[in-house]
Amino acid sequence: MNGPDAVFFWAAFACYLAGTVVASLYAGLRRPGLRRASLALTALGFAASTVGLIVRTALSGHLPVTNLYEYLTFFAWAIVAGFLLLWKREDLRLMTVFGAPVAFAMMVVASLFPSDIEQQLIPALQSHWLTIHVTLAVLGEAAFAVAFVSSILQLVAGRGGTGGASGARTAGPERGATGRPAARMGDPARLDEITYKAIGVGFPLFTVGALFAGAVWAQRAWGSAWSWDPKETSSLIVWLVYAIYLHVRLVRGWRGRGPAVLSIVGFALTFFTILGSRILGGLHSYG
Amino acid sequence: MQDNLAAVGLFVVSGAVALSIPAVRARLSSMRTGVALLAVVAALSMLGVLIGQDLPVESYSARFGPVVGPFVARSGLASVFGTWYFLAAAWALTLSVLSCSLGRILRLARSGRRGSVRAAALGSLVTHLSLAAVVAGGVVTATLGFRRADGRFLAAGHTTEVPEGGFALEVIEASTEFDESGALKDYVSIVNVIENGESEGPHRIEVNHPLTVNGVSVYQYEMLPSPDSVESVLLGVVLNLPDGASDPVELLVPFGEEKELPDGGLRVKPLEFLSDFTYDIDSSTAGLRSIWHDNPAVLVRVSAADETVFERWLFVGARAHADDEDLPCRLYFLDYEPDFRNGLTRFEYSRQPGTPLVFGGLAALSVGMCVVLWTKMSRREGS
Repeated sequence: MNGPDAVFFWAAFACYLAGTVVASLYAGLRRPGLRRASLALTALGFAASTVGLIVRTALSGHLPVTNLYEYLTFFAWAIVAGFLLLWKREDLRLMTVFGAPVAFAMMVVASLFPSDIEQQLIPALQSHWLTIHVTLAVLGEAAFAVAFVSSILQLVAGRGGTGGASGARTAGPERGATGRPAARMGDPARLDEITYKAIGVGFPLFTVGALFAGAVWAQRAWGSAWSWDPKETSSLIVWLVYAIYLHVRLVRGWRGRGPAVLSIVGFALTFFTILGSRILGGLHSYG
Repeated sequence: MQDNLAAVGLFVVSGAVALSIPAVRARLSSMRTGVALLAVVAALSMLGVLIGQDLPVESYSARFGPVVGPFVARSGLASVFGTWYFLAAAWALTLSVLSCSLGRILRLARSGRRGSVRAAALGSLVTHLSLAAVVAGGVVTATLGFRRADGRFLAAGHTTEVPEGGFALEVIEASTEFDESGALKDYVSIVNVIENGESEGPHRIEVNHPLTVNGVSVYQYEMLPSPDSVESVLLGVVLNLPDGASDPVELLVPFGEEKELPDGGLRVKPLEFLSDFTYDIDSSTAGLRSIWHDNPAVLVRVSAADETVFERWLFVGARAHADDEDLPCRLYFLDYEPDFRNGLTRFEYSRQPGTPLVFGGLAALSVGMCVVLWTKMSRREGS
């Protein structure tokens, strides 16, 4: 690691790690103090990550989204921002603490890649479309990450047989909860609603950022809006999966397990899209 | 292009026929069909990503084995996005979207719904129709457009005809730019446009900044340093002194300039550079085998008091000549700084007539889906 921003990266890393440990304890013990501690650690990590991104932007002279280290760090930041927006929701107490584990996982992967600061971007990346394309895509993908967590919790909660589509219970028991683990996850109907809303926010952002802005930039840089490049194609697959989700959810009115599985598959493909260019090569192989 | 037009014509006619049959239209407009087709296109796309596209057959055999590899190549999976089954799935999906949109238009016209319900219905219609526009734009480009790299690299002074553009480009300068720290900044070609015998310019073409003339865009595609000049050469110098060879020293000599050797009496000057040296025995001349820097060589002259002592071709990584022990010094070609200011440039030409449809469709798609999701979510919040 080099550059002064690394201090903030590792501070955020440590906070998310601690937040993950405390979140796990909260998931098991359900002490309100543990939730508060987990959220405080997550917020602290978010603040450190924010400062780190600002420092890196100032040092490099451009938004830090030009390699996988920067992309994943920014992605972790956006995911935590998404979870922090939900922290006041009393009926989503357990879900809100999951920002730290997801962000921590992204930071771990980010730490595996070179973190050198490139002040001079390679010619292909010298475009204002870089900021528009990547920022919107990351924000959309972060919303998918929130949907991913709520879908997993929904599946686990659904297995416990509580809540269901009726949404009978709006808030899980906290201190002294004695139900099965599944029952503690929250109301499946509420989680289903969160999944839908997160995808509802993420899908247009992803469409505008990854596909529309990406196509405009590709036309400008490569002479064609679409090249069937591995990253382009896997982004299209992500888009198709979430399009299927929205169709079955909005048109057919599906709830529960099916859409939740689609949301999980969608995020798995999103993560594949982020790392895929590293493995599969193509026009998006920048580092 | 005629093949493409025939294929598009076939698709359009078959699509129109399919949509005119109520039973087929009903089947196509069903959500089940739409979702199934989305899944098929996604699955085939995934196959395309995982298998890798348009690679040599041998690489598929290396990756998937001697049985599966050739099958992958033969079945079209190696170029899956051009196969009949992928195009058929994409076409069926487009028909499904159109059929669905047709139903939506009829329902919207008949219903007396107002407010957010109508907005959502309109948004949904726009979203679906815009997808058809994106596909139509892609088809127009695939049928009437082209994208082609120039077959050769061009140096300053060279001229090239732009395909389907009705004009030519004259290269004034081809250079690679670096910032103060030495990091790569940009590839830049300065050109004049020659049309109907008139030269117009200069124009600057760089990465992300194509030049568009008569609907054809010229892109900066590739750039190489000069094959026959360098900025400077780094020589290793060993003096053959009466009491034996001196310790080697390094000497940086700018190309075309003369520099004194450490002993003070001899001077060395790089006269010629060839990035890929070859020698024609019949004509006894050195020349370029290619523009790549595969066998760089520099011709140096060593002189004393304005008298040439010897001239030698030196090769990177090669030992000095066999008879150099008899000369006053031995020279080794250690390294060189390429000449990026007088480089070779290569262009790519593209005409994409469907682009306005694609971008218009994507813009409408974005707006339409925002309207749908916003109205649906706010209704849900309200309820």
